[in-house]
Amino acid sequence: MKRSYDINTGRGGRTGKNIISVLLVLYSFITIFLVGDTVLSSFKTKQELVKNLIGLPKNPTLQNYATVFVEEGFWRYILNSVLLVSASLLLMMTVSSMLAYGMAQYRFRGKNFLQGYFLIGLMMPVQLSILPLYLMLSKVHLTNNIWGLALVYAANLSFAFTVFYRFFEELPLSVIESARIDGANDFKIFASIVVPISKPVFSTVGLLQFIMIWNDFFLPMVFLTQKETQTLTLAIYSYTCNFLRNWDKIFSAVTVALIPILIIYFLFSEQIVAGLTAGSAKE
Amino acid sequence: MKIEPIRLKSRSNHAYLGFILPGLILYSVFVIIPILCSVFYSFFEWSGIGPMKFIGLKNFQYLLFGDRMSPIFFNALKNNLKYLACVLLIITPIQLFLAYMLFLKIRYSKYIRTMLFLPYVLSTSIVGFFSLLLFDGNIGVLNRVIADVFGRQYTLSWLGDPKIVFKLFVAIVIWQCMSSGMMIFYADMQAVSRDVIEASVVDGCGDTRRFFSIVLPNMRASLITNITLSVIYAMTMFGLPYVLVGPSGGVNNSLDFIAMVFYRYAFGGTYYGTTDIGFGSSISVVMLIIILAVWLITDRFLKRIKD
Repeated sequence: MKRSYDINTGRGGRTGKNIISVLLVLYSFITIFLVGDTVLSSFKTKQELVKNLIGLPKNPTLQNYATVFVEEGFWRYILNSVLLVSASLLLMMTVSSMLAYGMAQYRFRGKNFLQGYFLIGLMMPVQLSILPLYLMLSKVHLTNNIWGLALVYAANLSFAFTVFYRFFEELPLSVIESARIDGANDFKIFASIVVPISKPVFSTVGLLQFIMIWNDFFLPMVFLTQKETQTLTLAIYSYTCNFLRNWDKIFSAVTVALIPILIIYFLFSEQIVAGLTAGSAKE
Repeated sequence: MKIEPIRLKSRSNHAYLGFILPGLILYSVFVIIPILCSVFYSFFEWSGIGPMKFIGLKNFQYLLFGDRMSPIFFNALKNNLKYLACVLLIITPIQLFLAYMLFLKIRYSKYIRTMLFLPYVLSTSIVGFFSLLLFDGNIGVLNRVIADVFGRQYTLSWLGDPKIVFKLFVAIVIWQCMSSGMMIFYADMQAVSRDVIEASVVDGCGDTRRFFSIVLPNMRASLITNITLSVIYAMTMFGLPYVLVGPSGGVNNSLDFIAMVFYRYAFGGTYYGTTDIGFGSSISVVMLIIILAVWLITDRFLKRIKD
């Protein structure tokens, strides 16, 4: 429920609040500066960067992009990130929505236990499972393999499960019942009736998980150590940890990583917030 | 009011198994079993290959009381707790304050909300890059500006100074992560009964008073969510310090955290000592125990505040 109040308190509070607005607007310039300067600097040569770090490029060049894409094979990291996120999301959303539906719509023994069982993942630090996971995956040759890592992401379904569960619990049953009378089986009901009416939940969960996995640093660093399998986040890090040496390339590399996520943010920020708050405790 | 759905219980239906099993298997194999394995390994001396040697609590003993490990571990733990204190005493109040400002619809609040929330979607490595761009000692923007305006002698090596680096780190975290908690508070505020708010407006109740007597008492759910998330985030802090100062925690280990100690000893291999699965596992088990303990304490504390 999103409703805003029109609160007009008058007297005194007005000036104070206006000052806070101005301060926050000024504060937002930090973000604008960082993004803007990064994008602008990506068109500068190394020589120009030394003298002109802040400001418009004097002789805009695409050289840095050429280096990053052609010589450093950046398209590869982008592709890895896209594949990793797509595979993880596809598997996680399918498995966790089915799981939540099964838990919410059926009564069976051990259900209460399972409910608690699936929440354990919310409290556990990844560090606690990562060593055995590493041993397990390397035994079946799934380290340095984005599909192996996708399995790990998809398995961390506690959050997605919670949000789906809350939604499916309140599903109006009339639709489902009538489909059942028409003779549709359980899976057909789920796929052709439940999923289509649940699109908003899929998009909020999906977006939030997309951001989490796309940005994740720790798991790719542990599981994807070979250059060919690395993700965009790791590629950017490999530049920043040698900051001075990659001074010219880094701006274009960051711009390439930055622009898609900013577009997604400006298109979907409401849904991202909805996903964030959907997982929070309810009284 | 919540309408209790009619469960499809009868029909001697075992279809639920088909829905549940894939998730149950995936989650058990890749989340639960590894956790149990970690706990099991923590009692062994084992490099990952070869025979496992049961050594009881020796790993824990070495971590907590060993001459070499205990200073490293407690320094990291101190940093985790210091950061957690910053979250509870500085970041959470800021989040509440900003959420309330957005709730009051201060001028430009839509723009402000969008801009405050933006850094949340950026990856740690991009945030790390931004931090270097601003604070790098040699080529960072801040030092260039200082050198131009005040002179070179006033420049500081921001990330290399153990006195500054922690404060800087907290500031960067505020910039990046503060907004998620803020939005959770904000959403919760919008669920506060409209009638109550309107009544308080009619009665001429000021913004400050309304916050403490109407809004804050209704923030229990989001406070619990935010504090739980913060505790977990604080105790598992890894990415940002790693990107800022590298795996060893920077000058004087002033940005060393338990998760980084764990990484060094579990995966650091040749650089930082032995690759010891058993010892690494014991660090992660201690992490879990600390998380649970801190979480229990804050939970108690929140309950007491409520009563």
